[in-house]
Amino acid sequence: MGKIKVLTGNYTATEAAALCRPDLVAAYPITPQSSVVEGLAGKVHNGELDANLVQVESEHSAMSVVQGAAAGGGRVFTATSAQGLALMYEPYFRMSTLRMPMVMALATREMTSPETVWSGQQDAISVRDAGWIQVFCDNNQEIMDMVIQGYKLAEHPDVLIPVNVCYDGFYSSHLTEGVDVPDQKEVDEFLPAPSFAHCVLDPKKPFALDPLTPGPLLMKYRKSHLDAMEKALDIIEEIDKEFGDKFGRYYGGAISEYRTEDAEVVLITIAGMTGTGMDAVDIAREKGIKAGLIKLRFIRPFPAKRIAQVLEGKKAFAVVDRSVCFGWSQGPMHMEVKAAIADVNEKYAHFSAIGGLGGADISLQNMLDTIEQLEAQKEEHGEKTTKWFMNE
Amino acid sequence: MNYIDVLRESEDMVTPGMSACQGCGGELVLRTVLKVAGKNSIIGIPPGCMAGAGVVGWNYSNGLHIPVHIPLLDNTASFLTGLSQMYQRKGRPDVNIIALAGDGATADCGFQSLSAAAERNEKMLYVCYDNEGYMNTGYQRSSTTTKGSRTSTTPIGSVINGKQQQQKYLPLIISMHSVEYCATASPSHMADFVAKIQKGLEASKKGFAYLHVFSPCPTGWAYAPEKAISIARRAVQSNLFPLWEMDNQGYHLNFENKTPISMEEFVKGIGKFKSLTEDDIASIQNVVDQRYRLIQRICD
Repeated sequence: MGKIKVLTGNYTATEAAALCRPDLVAAYPITPQSSVVEGLAGKVHNGELDANLVQVESEHSAMSVVQGAAAGGGRVFTATSAQGLALMYEPYFRMSTLRMPMVMALATREMTSPETVWSGQQDAISVRDAGWIQVFCDNNQEIMDMVIQGYKLAEHPDVLIPVNVCYDGFYSSHLTEGVDVPDQKEVDEFLPAPSFAHCVLDPKKPFALDPLTPGPLLMKYRKSHLDAMEKALDIIEEIDKEFGDKFGRYYGGAISEYRTEDAEVVLITIAGMTGTGMDAVDIAREKGIKAGLIKLRFIRPFPAKRIAQVLEGKKAFAVVDRSVCFGWSQGPMHMEVKAAIADVNEKYAHFSAIGGLGGADISLQNMLDTIEQLEAQKEEHGEKTTKWFMNE
Repeated sequence: MNYIDVLRESEDMVTPGMSACQGCGGELVLRTVLKVAGKNSIIGIPPGCMAGAGVVGWNYSNGLHIPVHIPLLDNTASFLTGLSQMYQRKGRPDVNIIALAGDGATADCGFQSLSAAAERNEKMLYVCYDNEGYMNTGYQRSSTTTKGSRTSTTPIGSVINGKQQQQKYLPLIISMHSVEYCATASPSHMADFVAKIQKGLEASKKGFAYLHVFSPCPTGWAYAPEKAISIARRAVQSNLFPLWEMDNQGYHLNFENKTPISMEEFVKGIGKFKSLTEDDIASIQNVVDQRYRLIQRICD
């Protein structure tokens, strides 16, 4: 049995990472992620965690140091936000394309400019095509559980892809909640030591890691990466079940649903806004609107089939994004949900809603308005104008 | 053991087929470092001439007899930090962790991660083969390129004549990071070079060791390949490239230069310097003299 602790989202990530017994942690502080690093430094300096801790000079080096340690066969961890993620992009892309397993916590933050340090998901969303698995959490318990599940997924021999565990900067990173922290023994049983060897440099078995690769061979590597992403969709569900059976918490795999069974209009959310969305669904239900909600959990790989299945027979949906898709006048997850239903034989009324950029609020009223607009337009097939949550 | 015996009795770690230019300084540096280091080594060689010559396995038919990785141009020292720490952690501190990088990957875009790894005193031997530019891609200028050099990004134009800035003197900067060992070396002074590789490898078991090696480049600098070693020797004799080392006892001058040759004499026969003006030569001479006086003063 675990122990209930009162933790912020960041300290939850710290506790979770420590439970996974990393060999090496390298990180650079950045708002709003800093307390993840501080927490891990404290644990190492107090002798509570037997890990090598590397105090790097930048996020570029944070990702490079963990890459080197993974090339030594180690289990590694780091965390960052926004500008830090942008700075580490070069080794970040290489981590996934070298198929090195790891978990990185991402306290998501709006991208500058305008100058900002507040919440937003533009950082994580902007790197969704960099080959990592990305999962979004909407409460601290989910952060705890997804860091642990993240290593299981990343190190699965059929996956071997690094995992981003994303949660809203400030809204989750600094929010205090009660978290069930599992016993070390139970985590050890769930998560054995890593055994990947494909990228490990060792004088006992000399080889050249990542020589200049001819196009036709590179294409095979890319396809294999994409195939592993596809395969990961099944493995995510398997791990969700295995974790639930052991720890008693199930998340529904790549997506989770709320009151969707008989719903006509569906709100699609991501990360911390989900609770607000669920409250709005409850209120709408009291008003007689058949509303439901899909929470996007994994966006890479994108659970297109499951989303299409849940939407089957529904009339309307709106996707709320905390980021934008430049050039499309809408949110990126709306774009992707549209792609998911492109080939199904259904007609929907649907629109994109954008809110919560740069730390702006997504209010209950915003979510209710969205549901009510869906209800009003549910028989008018086709895409409506993007809705902006412009709260003063 | 005499350095000649050391080299003669050591196995060459480079497989046949590497495609460096004739008279390449970098190739000699690579082969010499790896002969001394031996099989129980892992090396990171970022993009640059040695990677381009195939020793990172680029053409799938040649490479090295030891594990090799081509890190990013700017993360060699941080990548090897993680690897080195894992080898300490696995209880295998005997494995040599070596970087072999050009001046671009070292003094320019790799400088930040190098400086940080040096400051943390990470256990590795970092060797920079300094050929004063991005030679693998056609000689673009770097921060270690000597003033007045003709490079493809500092051409001899009708208005601007070659590189306008003096070179960054990196080895002294690295030595100020409280590292375990720091030295300059030249392929023209092999006994000194081999001894410094040995010291550097030994020091890399305790902390950060750095070797900055002069690496003349016939292709980029435009001179006959057979002159490579004599140009390297003249660089030392002119004080353009003084030989010194820093260990936990302080700084030591390894080659006392009583009658240095002039910069005017050094640049003779090197194509990249053919458009130097008298002012250029005087200005390089001034920097060289100042640098040498500084080195003399800090050495015991």
